[in-house]
Amino acid sequence: MSGNRHSRTSYNTFFYSFAGFLFLYSAYLFLSNLDQLFVTEAAIKTREITSWGEDREILNQFAGGFWKDPYFWKSLNLTLVITLMTTFIATILGIPTAYALSRYRIPGKSVVDVLFSSLMVMPGSVIGICLIVMFNYGPLWDLQNLLGFRFGHSIFPGMLIASLVLSFAFGMSAWKATFDSVNPRFEQVARSLGSTRWRAFRTVTFPLAKSGIVTGIILAWTRAMAEFSAVLFFCGTFRELPASRFSNFTKFLQMDQADWLSVAVWAQVEFGNIEYGFALAFVLVFIGGISVYVMHRIGAKGYVW
Amino acid sequence: MKIIKNLAVFLVVSSIFLVTQAYGGEKSILFHAGLGQRGALNEIKAVFEKRHPDIKVNFSYKGSGYFIADITRSKQGDLFMPGEEFYLMQAVERGFLTDYDPKTDIPAYFVTVIITPKGNPKNITKIEDFARPGVRVGLGNPRSCAIGIWHQKTFKKAGIWDKVKENATMSAKCIPELGNATQHRAIDATIVWGTTAVLYLRDVEIIPIEHKYRGIIRLPVGVLKFARYREEAQKLMDFILSEEGRAIFHKHAYAVNPVIPVDKQSFCLDGTTDQDMGYLVNAAKAVKDDSFPVTKETVGDLTEEVIRQKKTIRAGD
Amino acid sequence: MVLRSRGGWWPTLCIGIAGSILAVYLLLVTSNWIYLGWHDTLYFFSKSRMWERFWLTVWTATVSTSFSLLIGIPAGYALSRYRFPCRYLIASVIDLPIVVSPAVVGAFLFGITTRFPFDWISEYYGIYIGRNVYGVLLVQFTVTAAFCARLMKASFDMIPTKFEIVSHSLGASPFRTFFKVVLPMAKNGIIASMIVVWARAAAEWEGLMLFVGATEGKTDIMPFAIYLDWNGGMMGWVTSMSIVCILMAISAISAMKIIGGKSNVW
Repeated sequence: MSGNRHSRTSYNTFFYSFAGFLFLYSAYLFLSNLDQLFVTEAAIKTREITSWGEDREILNQFAGGFWKDPYFWKSLNLTLVITLMTTFIATILGIPTAYALSRYRIPGKSVVDVLFSSLMVMPGSVIGICLIVMFNYGPLWDLQNLLGFRFGHSIFPGMLIASLVLSFAFGMSAWKATFDSVNPRFEQVARSLGSTRWRAFRTVTFPLAKSGIVTGIILAWTRAMAEFSAVLFFCGTFRELPASRFSNFTKFLQMDQADWLSVAVWAQVEFGNIEYGFALAFVLVFIGGISVYVMHRIGAKGYVW
Repeated sequence: MKIIKNLAVFLVVSSIFLVTQAYGGEKSILFHAGLGQRGALNEIKAVFEKRHPDIKVNFSYKGSGYFIADITRSKQGDLFMPGEEFYLMQAVERGFLTDYDPKTDIPAYFVTVIITPKGNPKNITKIEDFARPGVRVGLGNPRSCAIGIWHQKTFKKAGIWDKVKENATMSAKCIPELGNATQHRAIDATIVWGTTAVLYLRDVEIIPIEHKYRGIIRLPVGVLKFARYREEAQKLMDFILSEEGRAIFHKHAYAVNPVIPVDKQSFCLDGTTDQDMGYLVNAAKAVKDDSFPVTKETVGDLTEEVIRQKKTIRAGD
Repeated sequence: MVLRSRGGWWPTLCIGIAGSILAVYLLLVTSNWIYLGWHDTLYFFSKSRMWERFWLTVWTATVSTSFSLLIGIPAGYALSRYRFPCRYLIASVIDLPIVVSPAVVGAFLFGITTRFPFDWISEYYGIYIGRNVYGVLLVQFTVTAAFCARLMKASFDMIPTKFEIVSHSLGASPFRTFFKVVLPMAKNGIIASMIVVWARAAAEWEGLMLFVGATEGKTDIMPFAIYLDWNGGMMGWVTSMSIVCILMAISAISAMKIIGGKSNVW
């Protein structure tokens, strides 16, 4: 091998150190905040003043006693149910869209490409404002009046739409990349042997693209879980609303008077219930960490957040 | 190699930039203020900074209920002006303010009004209409914004609090959220301060509340205990409490009458604030209707606001 | 060759779904401008307040992008070329700040600034990072450094190692190989990643909400200013600033596509 050993090891160390710095920074960021879960004297005294009576007892425990609080379980429920539904809808709509964008000639494909890529780097508040303007003015407003319910400030379909916007975009770009990497020749051979287009897709392309599709699904789900600003702008919080406002279906699913988890983190930290807010944040980090680890293990390539 | 050179140049330039940003060399007062007061306080800041060029004012706007947690955590801040005296008393209880005098440290008052989306689709004219079934009401969260306390008080006095809670569509964490929701027709009616209503003249209808339900909210201002620039903060506070400061507040639809008779719960007793309410209703009409005359008699001190809002088709400058 | 076969409903379905979804997204992106109208757009664009914020966004994004690139390029190389134990675990931990919601990242950053070493700095130097433009830079760096490392890893993955091996066999030292062989080959990828990271840094605001207070003119970059003005009820400002943000994102991505060309990893 070339180069003397010192130069080689110093070279390796140089690069290892940068990766190591990122790792340590991230680990420090998350682990050093574990002690925020413990209640301090100042927090108890502040809560004496600001808390409105009911939940002072629970909140003064470790991590705000979040596992005892029904609000936490309902919010977790709400977030998981909505993100699963969003992922499902994104998959159903996204795979045909990605297939069409990858295989068929659509006019203005580069414009579409730029549009979806720029959605992924757009600020969340802009997406939220666009949603509000889109649904409260113009033809969609009349549609809402016709149907009798409003899209904004609701769980169905408000939160669904808010998390769907970006989750769909992320999933679709992953699926498009997958379909781009599968050689179209295989389908053409299948079709020349007599199968229909749908059958060729189902039996030839789909199994070849399977790992990429799974990657896209996990990516869409993770992005839906990480949605914050669109939900905040479009739906707001639901904790203080009376129980009668929620439909029976929502109550059956145990989702009434709950909030989206990211929004709940922000709301609790702003109120000063720091332990509770950080407990919710750690739950989110845990869920995100698991999904990212799964993505790495199944060897997902070519995805970017 | 070229990339490395470019990157190095980039880094050097940006580091120099950063270092020069750090040492401004001027005194900057940190002013904690409620979100509802943004318009008036920005104008006060402009006038004050012109007069004292070496003092800068930085605002930290939040919903009123969030101040205690923030001040406890950061222990920073020179002036404090929440949207309701209740929150200032919380700070006094915690020992953050030491010399607050309720008789002299009130620069202005908020007055509550009803607002509805343009055209008043559900035909709301009085407080009791909020209890009508099918009316979507926006309420404030008393933990986080000052208006929440007043929603509770007003509706409890009218005896319709439970019915109004049934009608609640949104629970706002800060008062501009209510104004926005009314502007977007997401709710049918709500109660806000006159100051907030004046921001949306083009898109809402303003309905004054009758005397016995109209609330007069005391707006306090005080210097915090750990102020870093105490004299400068005191200067700003004196400016706010002076005649000129109060005139600026009046221009933004605050009530600055020196004496307003109120009952024990701070509801209005007589028509002292009626003239201001008249100005507000006229201002709403003037912005929507170009033929309405905009003079001192019709809109009082709100002339500037009206003219400014007439310049844009969509609300909000 | 055009193959005619049965079952033409599948392409129609695909194209139909694709078309309607594209129409919806197009409406989403242009709805602001439709709402605001031409006259108001010109009015708000002529105010200096908008351009002050724009300039603040641009320069903070540029500074934090350069720091991210400095850390991200070597880290991406390490992640791409080396096989070390617990590789997946380490890569997951590095990825964590960009996977979770930025609001959560902001909450954690607010947590670490109340302790060493940050409170020591704020006591002795009087710079409280939570109210300064330094807080903005820290948040932007946190969210984009790992993102940059990931993009760099993808672009280094596309360069086969045989070039380095050949260069070593010809006698070049490893550092010289890196700077003279690997980096120029990755040039397109680096530039494309730089633009994308810049756009991502300029779009970061949820981390700022919890962590940095809102000081008008000093820490409110464009997305944060949209949130603040939304809370102030200034709908005209909100929509016009949204238009500016959308244009910034679109132009950054177009630039990336043009410059990055075939070697983009996006």
